[in-house]
Amino acid sequence: MAYGVTQQMIETFGEIVFKLSLNKQVRRGDPVRNLDFTSIEAAREESGLTDEQIAERVGLLPEQVSVVRVFTERKHHKIDQHRRIYHLGGGKRWKKAAYSSPLERLTFRKDAMMIRESVVFKPELAAKYIERGYWINETLNSHLANYANTTPDAPAIIYSGGEISYKNLKENVDELTNGLMDIGLMKGDVVAVQLPNTLEFILSYFAITAFGGVMQTIHMPYRDADIKFLLSHSRARAVICLSKFKNFNTAEVMLDIKEKSDTLENIITVGKTSLPGTIDFKNIKISGVPKIVNPPVGSDPFLLLYTSGTTSNPKGVPLTYQNMIGNARLSVPEFHMTPADRNISAAPFSHLYGLYNFHVALCAGAANILLPVFTPPDLAKMIEETKATTVFLGPPHAASMINAGLLDDHDFSSVRFSMFSGSACPPSVLEIYRNKISAKGSETRIGQLWGMTETAGATYCRDDSPKDLALKSAGPAAPGNEVRVVNENDEVLPANTEGELQVRGSSVFPGYLNNPEANENAFTEDGWFKTGDIAIIDKVGNLSITGRTKDVISRGGVKFNPADIEDLITGHPNVEQAAIVPMPDPILGEKACCFITLIDDNKVTLEDLCDLLDKKKIAKNKWPERLIVINEMPLTPTRKIIKGKLIEKL
Amino acid sequence: MVKAKYNSDDTKSMCKAYAEKKGALAFGIANINTLERVAPEGARPTDMLPKVKSIISIGVGGGTRGSWAADAKTLAYIGDTETMAYRIAYGLAFYIEAKFGFRAIFVPPDMNPEKGARVPMQSLKLHAEVAGIGARSMAGDILLHPEYGMMYYASVFTEMEMPPDQPMANNPCPHSSCVQLYRKSGQTPCMRYCPVECLSGSIGEDDQVEEMHYDAHACAEMSQQYEAIPSVLLDTLDAKDPIERGMALHGPENQVIWYKLSIGAGELLSLCYECMRVCPITQTAPMANPVARGAGIRQKIVEAEAAARTEHAIEKTENMKK
Repeated sequence: MAYGVTQQMIETFGEIVFKLSLNKQVRRGDPVRNLDFTSIEAAREESGLTDEQIAERVGLLPEQVSVVRVFTERKHHKIDQHRRIYHLGGGKRWKKAAYSSPLERLTFRKDAMMIRESVVFKPELAAKYIERGYWINETLNSHLANYANTTPDAPAIIYSGGEISYKNLKENVDELTNGLMDIGLMKGDVVAVQLPNTLEFILSYFAITAFGGVMQTIHMPYRDADIKFLLSHSRARAVICLSKFKNFNTAEVMLDIKEKSDTLENIITVGKTSLPGTIDFKNIKISGVPKIVNPPVGSDPFLLLYTSGTTSNPKGVPLTYQNMIGNARLSVPEFHMTPADRNISAAPFSHLYGLYNFHVALCAGAANILLPVFTPPDLAKMIEETKATTVFLGPPHAASMINAGLLDDHDFSSVRFSMFSGSACPPSVLEIYRNKISAKGSETRIGQLWGMTETAGATYCRDDSPKDLALKSAGPAAPGNEVRVVNENDEVLPANTEGELQVRGSSVFPGYLNNPEANENAFTEDGWFKTGDIAIIDKVGNLSITGRTKDVISRGGVKFNPADIEDLITGHPNVEQAAIVPMPDPILGEKACCFITLIDDNKVTLEDLCDLLDKKKIAKNKWPERLIVINEMPLTPTRKIIKGKLIEKL
Repeated sequence: MVKAKYNSDDTKSMCKAYAEKKGALAFGIANINTLERVAPEGARPTDMLPKVKSIISIGVGGGTRGSWAADAKTLAYIGDTETMAYRIAYGLAFYIEAKFGFRAIFVPPDMNPEKGARVPMQSLKLHAEVAGIGARSMAGDILLHPEYGMMYYASVFTEMEMPPDQPMANNPCPHSSCVQLYRKSGQTPCMRYCPVECLSGSIGEDDQVEEMHYDAHACAEMSQQYEAIPSVLLDTLDAKDPIERGMALHGPENQVIWYKLSIGAGELLSLCYECMRVCPITQTAPMANPVARGAGIRQKIVEAEAAARTEHAIEKTENMKK
């Protein structure tokens, strides 16, 4: 090195050279002003020496002192100090406790940055969404804080044990937020939640996101293998779950996963008892207003949902506030949702649809009614008792209530608007549902919504859409979104032509987590998300889903969508559910195989079904060529048939 | 250079009058013998000007009361007034040579890079203190004056002999209110509110500073931005993350450095004037051209004289009518 100075010399002499130089100065008394020459001489070293003097003192050459000093000063030098004074003056004085360096304050773990890096939007689209107000700086907790302040006593949550106001909800959330931060969770950390639609879920959701965390949901039916995959993929740092759910020892499984994980640190359990090594949900709260130094903002990812995996392994879908809360906020006027509304979701909050309608009600300052686990009687009872005004459900929820006569036995007169989504919407179910409520003299309206984990509420019927639109359509695109139907070459098809549905817009997710291959196939060059659904869009923009591209069967090169055939077979008096999947064929490539479940102990043969289709004048190439009767359809938590699992049975 | 015959008291008064006329608040002559004894070797006045006889120190005012009340960002831009002091000292050196015929130099207020960190060529602070126009404070030895507060100083060395002044009899620091706070909290306001906590020390029972500890390196990170420039560049080179690298250069804590650098280079680095070049107002402004401006003034004088003559004529006519 220059001047014969080694790194070791810098380390050895650096600190003493730094100290003896003018970097550190001491004055005792006032010797110069008092012309006290003795004191001046005695204190010369303390008031700082030149490099030459230091060299003499330490035993180095002056030039070597210079090198040692410069490198040591460099080690000490902090270049961001000037920030400290930016907000001082005008009566404000420096206070150490009130300042933290942004570099120290805005820290993220590597795993958190992994999620952040997966949030990639096209810049021209982001600019458009911001300019048009689709994306604003809002968070889940900014809406809670707003209503806790403006309508503190209004009911925020209604549950079987009572109700909680916005103000009380905020206070409870604050306490849990303190507790979660106290165990070391920080902005960007993933916290997985496997809870039913309970107050604990709601508190967890708000508290996790209050400090900037990302909530990952795990569907209640998921067990060891599913959970292990999801926690490993998300690199979650904590889990909030039940101690035990039915026969599933949730806490034990979570502890076992934690033991083998390099990221999972805390298991927080809800229940009467808690296992050693877990934290009891009841004991984690700490009173006081949380001090959040790295607060969440609108562009942050805050939810990590996983696709239900009807065709492949679940894929991680990070969603930002601007995606999800923006989508909900823009829906409020479309549904005429007001603070007077009482909203209930039959769908689980672990799924996008459940969260979506929770968000809509929150954005409106309305009350959300909690239905922990769906059963037809519980839903009917809850609607009646709480006088719910808006109901978000799926056709199977409605069908099961209709079949059990619950719409006749319960008072649904408070329900002004019901939204259907989650699976194909048979018009008959929707019509019967509406007619049964209206029959008692109360005016009620129905809507249909189409969305995916990746798109949030992409299209839906409005509260003031034509009365019967929902019977055949999921309405036009949500504010901020566009939809189109294309052929295999991504060419846009004319109205009323069936093709693949593509969506682009402010609610569409930024891309799958750690899945570049899926991302490459998921979007077009200009940012349209390829949904994999087959649809028709009419002349005024109303969407009707007709099937899934992956469900399409190519029999000898002739492709057909089996959705219509499934509907016809479901109409057979002895058939409960039907699903048609492609089965490999050495000559034709693919043939149709039909899986059915039966009502009671009835019997159905392949010939019976073919007779039915023949009578309905269905082309023979669309008839199933194999029939498999099963006891139970594999369903997603939102009651969609998992065709991938049926194919595995072939 | 003809040496004029002036009494040394007169020359001092004339130099003081010159400096005050040009804007100096304080003027003093430091005792050269004291300085030669106190200043370290290599930084003594005779090291710079071997036949120096007098060390003149002048002080100019710091910020206005308004600037002390403004926010820190504003003060970062308007707090410095030292260039005014330098300008006066520069003029004073010429004045001495022209008026009295003795050699004089404006003392460079700069660092001696070979000597170490923040080692000055000459300590202007020491000159001012010995000249009796400032006393060392608890705030890192920043000089204070009971009447003028904080000043910026400049020095002139001359071979002309003038009677020296004495250091100030009393040190205004610590102020009685600071002593009170110190007794309560163990800190004076300057210690307490320093953003980098570079000040510490003690006040004795006589209410005078007992010890003052000053972390000049920490202070320099805030106040001596020129020292940060190489560090910013090194941080940029060392940064592994492109965002860190970009922020090292463009971050808000460092942008002030580039701004001041461009100001220090003489002018703001404004390189585009196209909007003004096509502006009809700039192109046709009648008084923009100094020649035209001169003509305009002459024209106004002519018009004024004509008006005066007219008024005089009217008055004369009216008087005649009477």
